[in-house]
Amino acid sequence: MKKAELKKHSGKIITAAVIILICIILGILKPGREALMTQTSPEMQKMIDADANSTRKRVTVTYNSLFIINYASLSTSGANVMSERYVGFLGKVYPADEGAMKVVGQMVNYTYRMLGVGENLMHGAKLTITLTTLTVLFGVLLGTLLALGKISKKKILSKLSGAYIFFFRGTPLLIQIFVVYFTVPGIFGFAWRDLFGVNDAEAVYKGAFVAALIAFALNSGAYCAEIVRSAIQSIDKGQFEAAKALGMSYGQTMTRIIIPQSIRRMIPNVSNEFIMVLKDASLVFAISLMDITTVSKNIMTSEGSYLVFIPALVIYLVITAFFGFIFDKIEKKFSVYE
Amino acid sequence: MSDQYEYILKTEHVSKRFGTLEVLKDINLSVKKGEVICIIGPSGAGKSTFLRSLNQLEKITSGKIFIRDELFLHRENDHTVDKLPREKQQELLLEMGMVFQRFNLFPHKTVLQNVCEAPVIVKKEKKEEVEERAKELLDRVGLSEKANEYPSRLSGGQQQRVAIARALAMNPEIMLFDEPTSALDPELVGDVLKVMKELAESGMTMLCVTHEMGFAREVADRVLFMADGIIAEEGTPEEIFTNPKAERTRNFLNAVLEA
Repeated sequence: MKKAELKKHSGKIITAAVIILICIILGILKPGREALMTQTSPEMQKMIDADANSTRKRVTVTYNSLFIINYASLSTSGANVMSERYVGFLGKVYPADEGAMKVVGQMVNYTYRMLGVGENLMHGAKLTITLTTLTVLFGVLLGTLLALGKISKKKILSKLSGAYIFFFRGTPLLIQIFVVYFTVPGIFGFAWRDLFGVNDAEAVYKGAFVAALIAFALNSGAYCAEIVRSAIQSIDKGQFEAAKALGMSYGQTMTRIIIPQSIRRMIPNVSNEFIMVLKDASLVFAISLMDITTVSKNIMTSEGSYLVFIPALVIYLVITAFFGFIFDKIEKKFSVYE
Repeated sequence: MSDQYEYILKTEHVSKRFGTLEVLKDINLSVKKGEVICIIGPSGAGKSTFLRSLNQLEKITSGKIFIRDELFLHRENDHTVDKLPREKQQELLLEMGMVFQRFNLFPHKTVLQNVCEAPVIVKKEKKEEVEERAKELLDRVGLSEKANEYPSRLSGGQQQRVAIARALAMNPEIMLFDEPTSALDPELVGDVLKVMKELAESGMTMLCVTHEMGFAREVADRVLFMADGIIAEEGTPEEIFTNPKAERTRNFLNAVLEA
């Protein structure tokens, strides 16, 4: 970055640095897991100690750490039902069985589950972000090919691309997911989990993810095709003529002159497509995958916590803001020449 | 490639129709190597279309185009009757450089990259050699210090001079100028015309569609006056400007020179 640029952004940079610094300080000051566990009542402590020497665990311990705040819940089942919750924040441990701290504790727990941090599988926000990013990436690549096909002078290519776009925009994404997940393996006699070894305990889940990604990318390709096509067609005709007059082939003209100039014009629309896919990602619930929306809905049905949707909204907004920022940066990078 | 040819460029009975509109009617023109020809005339006369059909930016409806006495393209009623093989056509087209009214520089590439692009990509020349030549060309058009700027940072006149350098980088034998100064502010026209004049003096074969009568008078070997899709009059600058025969030429020149 140049000096002048640095100066222009100094306000933003300082704000970001201060926020990061505060988060780091809060993170350091957060009580550790041990601090939360030693707050337990003597009865609970006794059972925990007993569990340590037994193979049969009677205490269920949930521990969620969210960088600046953490939450622990200990509960027992059976004859002697006990349940205790604690929140750790800024060097102190707060009991979270009632009142405001209970809500705080729930929020930490729900957010933790919706983010999917604790899972080794693609789960919650991890799934949503991975699926969305890969979908848009493949969607733009596929969309570029389709757009080139559609504007091609070869009738057959143009017709085929047009038909593809018509089909994928004209049918519901949910059914497209079903077709990829159920119909295609049904016809061709395979199962998506076969892609992963029989020893892979997560094969079913991974297979479903692959199927979802294929359906999403095929669908997004159709939408991206229109984005790319309109961007290409917005480039001044003089650019094609200049390239042709210099002896450049159609392929050279496209890859070196037209597409690089189109990218900047695509970005706002691709950013929009990204946000659409981010929200459409919840459709994966239909093939047993758990994105943010599905996790929040499950928490609602299993625990009756109507508050769960508030952190869900916040998570979506944070993701949208982050990627909006990234797309902004990419757009600026491609605008240097203007 | 033999240099034994009579005309570097020749057209016979070239016509062009857009739908029912006849833009070019039976244009015959022969150009010798080193000749500088200016095409003048009212707008809508088909000057630009004629120039553009020479390097295939427009497909002619009928007629023949010869390059170096070789039949480059022969079309009748919008059908190609005869043409050179594709590679040979491509090779001959590279001998024609074109400068556009609206410059058409590649905005995402720097001045130097604009000039180097085609020689490296199309002719597969070595990048270092092309860059060296490009710098010389930029120096020739007086823009060596702008090599690393993007076109948007340049004035119209500077952009047009880059466009000329870009076309020259392909080492063409013929340069086509399609109203190169029409989109420029009046005070910027001079620099571009100066470059074109130097180019003419260096022996380049040039076809210029222009509204700069002073330039045509001073630099051209031959002036064509086009109106309604035909070459209405043709002659030396002297003949056209001081003693025009056709009434249309007279009217046009009166209108232009009075302004």
